[in-house]
Amino acid sequence: MTLALVLSLLALALVRGTPILLASLGGVLSERAGIVNIALEGEMTAGAFAAALISFFTRDPWIGAIGGVAVGAAVGFALGFAATRWRVDQIVAGMGINLICTGGAAFGLIFVFNQAGVTPQVPAINQALWPLVVLGILLAAVLQWALSRTPIGLRLRACGENPHAARAAGIDPLAVRLAASAIAGALAGLGGVFLALGELNLYSDGMIAGRGFIALAAVIFGRWTPLGAAGVALIFGLLEALQFALQGNIAWLPSDFLQALPYIAALIALLGASGRYRPPAAEGKPYP
Amino acid sequence: MLDAVDLSCEAGEIHALVGENGAGKSTLAAIAAGELHADAGEIERNGRIGLVHQHFALIDRLCVWENVVLGREPRRFATIDRDAARAFVRDLGERYGLDVDPDALVENLPVGIRQRVELLRELARDPSILILDEPTAALSPGEVERLFSTIALLTKNGVGALVITHKLDEVFAHAERVTVLRRGRVVERRPITEITRDQTARAMIGGEIPSIPSHQPTNGAVVVRVKELTVPGAIENLSLHIAAGEILGIAGVEGNGQSALADALAGLTPFRGTIDRPAAIGIIPQDRLLEAVIPAWSLVENAMLGRERAAGNGSWRIDRAAARAQCAAIVERFDVRTESIDAPLATLSGGNQQKLVVGRALIDNPPFVIAYNPTRGIDIGATATVHGELLAARNRGAAILLVSFELDELFALSDRIVVIARGALRGEFADRRFDRDTIGRLMVSA
Amino acid sequence: MNRESIKALLLGTLGVVAAMSLAMLASHVSPILGFNAFFYGAFGGKQQIAETLASTTALLFPALGIAIAFRAGLFNIGAEGQLLVGGLLAGWIGTRIEVAPALAIAAIFLAGALGGAVWGAIAGWLKAARGANEVISTLMLNFIAASLALYLVTGPLRAPDAAGPELSLLPHAYWLPTLLPQTRATIALPIALLAAFALRYILNRTWFGYRLRAAGEAPEAARRAGISLSRIALAAMAWSGALAGMGGAALVAGELHRFNTQLSPGYGFIAIAVALVGGLEPLAICVAALAFGALESGGLALQAAAAVPKDAIHVIEGLLVFALAARRYLGARGAAAQ
Repeated sequence: MTLALVLSLLALALVRGTPILLASLGGVLSERAGIVNIALEGEMTAGAFAAALISFFTRDPWIGAIGGVAVGAAVGFALGFAATRWRVDQIVAGMGINLICTGGAAFGLIFVFNQAGVTPQVPAINQALWPLVVLGILLAAVLQWALSRTPIGLRLRACGENPHAARAAGIDPLAVRLAASAIAGALAGLGGVFLALGELNLYSDGMIAGRGFIALAAVIFGRWTPLGAAGVALIFGLLEALQFALQGNIAWLPSDFLQALPYIAALIALLGASGRYRPPAAEGKPYP
Repeated sequence: MLDAVDLSCEAGEIHALVGENGAGKSTLAAIAAGELHADAGEIERNGRIGLVHQHFALIDRLCVWENVVLGREPRRFATIDRDAARAFVRDLGERYGLDVDPDALVENLPVGIRQRVELLRELARDPSILILDEPTAALSPGEVERLFSTIALLTKNGVGALVITHKLDEVFAHAERVTVLRRGRVVERRPITEITRDQTARAMIGGEIPSIPSHQPTNGAVVVRVKELTVPGAIENLSLHIAAGEILGIAGVEGNGQSALADALAGLTPFRGTIDRPAAIGIIPQDRLLEAVIPAWSLVENAMLGRERAAGNGSWRIDRAAARAQCAAIVERFDVRTESIDAPLATLSGGNQQKLVVGRALIDNPPFVIAYNPTRGIDIGATATVHGELLAARNRGAAILLVSFELDELFALSDRIVVIARGALRGEFADRRFDRDTIGRLMVSA
Repeated sequence: MNRESIKALLLGTLGVVAAMSLAMLASHVSPILGFNAFFYGAFGGKQQIAETLASTTALLFPALGIAIAFRAGLFNIGAEGQLLVGGLLAGWIGTRIEVAPALAIAAIFLAGALGGAVWGAIAGWLKAARGANEVISTLMLNFIAASLALYLVTGPLRAPDAAGPELSLLPHAYWLPTLLPQTRATIALPIALLAAFALRYILNRTWFGYRLRAAGEAPEAARRAGISLSRIALAAMAWSGALAGMGGAALVAGELHRFNTQLSPGYGFIAIAVALVGGLEPLAICVAALAFGALESGGLALQAAAAVPKDAIHVIEGLLVFALAARRYLGARGAAAQ
């Protein structure tokens, strides 16, 4: 393999990995605050669809991007609100949100554009692709630092480990969890924006293709740390890139196997080291 | 829970609040500290009231200084000034004789040290009153003395200390005033010099202390034999034996290998060494709600737990009539007070739930019984029933391993006591000749 | 049924009607016309009722499977993959054997159950042996199942006569007998109902069911009572997968009459909602499956007749699940207040 080929492979890995990375950072934040975030998939879908929709009508991709992030945040807020104020089962609520978002986007496609499956082409921010990649990696480093070194980071971790103790220290765990869930939604929404307006210039049904769930796996394999999750997300990106690079080049390797590569890798990783993964102690448990 | 309770604690005094389990002491503490709200009445606070919980409310996976400064972190620009936080913890510790490594992870600390961390956390907030809820429940006798000297230091500095306990020894050794709570009402309040121990005990119970059966002489063969037992990280090379008709008490500070020993004997944890024991075994787990019962299920279904396969008599069906009869038998013999055996277990008081757990473990007359803190958190009436049934099982010839953090309970029930510390046996006391001071010292031996 | 659940049912129905009306209004359709089309599509005639029953069947099998796993405390969201693998094995066996039709149909269902059981058991084994989070593993297995199926039907197992990525057609004799002639409502429905009754019996009356429920309700208490959580995890996931796999077999032998990768438009996911709406009780799940089956077939009719996109139905299903999660809390608060 030549150097140029390796470099282009790595570049592709970064691009494919970034949406997963952004969503996984959101996952880390909400789970460290104590909210299981199975809704990342729905939040990415909502972000991607809203970005394409808004970009189509305003003809300004930046407003579209901001709108996508905002809609992602709104979905995260809804999950957080239900989890904190209504004390719902977070996994069940997350499943519900995923159904609503994917169904809602498909409904919206027909309702707004009168066509199934895909939006028309919309103004995009393809020129911002690489800045967004860099932003994602920087964000991982900043969040890592913020979680361990700042007061708000300490308080967020406290809420995910023992909200009662946090409450006794004068912190409002419900507010922290709600905020973390909304920010998580914004980050997942940004991941969706990256796919719809960064890499492409449209939204199509199924374009998230399980990346939200892969991001969830990245959170776990990254041991609930921003840098860990980001690293795993980029490895998933590399596996996706490999799949492109190898497709058709190796006769005996069926392309469907390559498609399954990230998932098989995740399963093997799960097999290898599960016992050592310990989620935040109060994750998924309603407070009070 | 509570009914028109008045309580005051003054600066510089040690005020003991005593009462049975379920009398409402912890509820009162939580209301005073502002963690719960009362339906009626008011609370007047001069300054902050700090609460040291019975089950320490620390964050296990944060380090000591993070726990102490949480919510009021010293800052340097946007970040936490970690050096200042560490120095703060060290200074505070020096002032009150509570030395602890600020960078230690709380989950790695033994119980006694965790309590110091919780004390530090409350002291960091400059309380005018400090409430300590059963602070000695998991401490060795030496640690208890040390705790009370810290409390004395606090009161000298003008802090009022309200100590919630049911151990009258401590009350009469340290407190200046005592308030007795029974079923949510104050039944007695006096300076310590104006009341006797017996008066206090009778006020707590509202009657005479129930008696339990005596130890019948038994002379059984060895039923349980443990040789060179090692459970990694908990027990090192431990050997012991228990005879039929014998209660072997395990004395030790919580977290010194007792639960690993019980789990190894029950077959719930991997171990090295050999364990010889009967196949049939009755187990009273240590944490009732988490380990012993399913609160949402009925008494019948709870009484079946662990015996569900036997209830089918070899078929894969459950014989529901037999299961109900068995549950009714437990309820009858062990005095479980309930309106119906079909009621959810959660509707019963803690004492009655525990009687069902004990009954389930003993109803089949197993030759070997493991009882782990069998009376923790239940009232004196239920405690008497449980103690009586354990002794009855012993008198019938069962070998019983009794783990308890209450020396009084061990002394009342055991035929023989072994002391465990850091996963190894440190001493043995046979023939019911127990020496509290020596046992206390051995419990903290290295 | 107590007053609480009747109230919840009424509120749920009202919510669905309101949400559907909104969707119709948004699509510029009068709700009266829309509901007319919807109910005609769901119950309007023999063919419509049969479509509803076919959807009911397709949802009921995986929903019952999901209930087993959930009752054991395992969040199996891999019913889709289990259904697919079961359907694949069923479709393959169906083209390989030559026996009496009744035997062949039994073999097809068994193969479906086996395929689904193996796929579920992988996640169960990961949980039992390695403590692997079953939410992640079953999700991954869904994707892997889809890739595996695609690979097999485009590669090694591809039917020589097939137009697309699919297996050969089953012999006509092996097609499931229909309940109503000339429709897709087959005897798979009574088989699924039978499975529901059997499941109810197993959960409530056998020690295996007792252990499974205990492991789900209070794992630590169950473990200390001598119940092996690993064995329960393995068994529950295998049985869960087996039922989902039978759903795949029913689709293969009853509707498509061959396996192809488009076997399920997400039945395994919607079945999660069905199981939850049914409160994880087998008989209530049958009712929930019928309601969701009607939503599916009525939704299709709504799309055809009134141009209200069928996806609106999925939004409604999602709202139902979301509301359900919240209802648990409201119920718990009511109990605490008493």
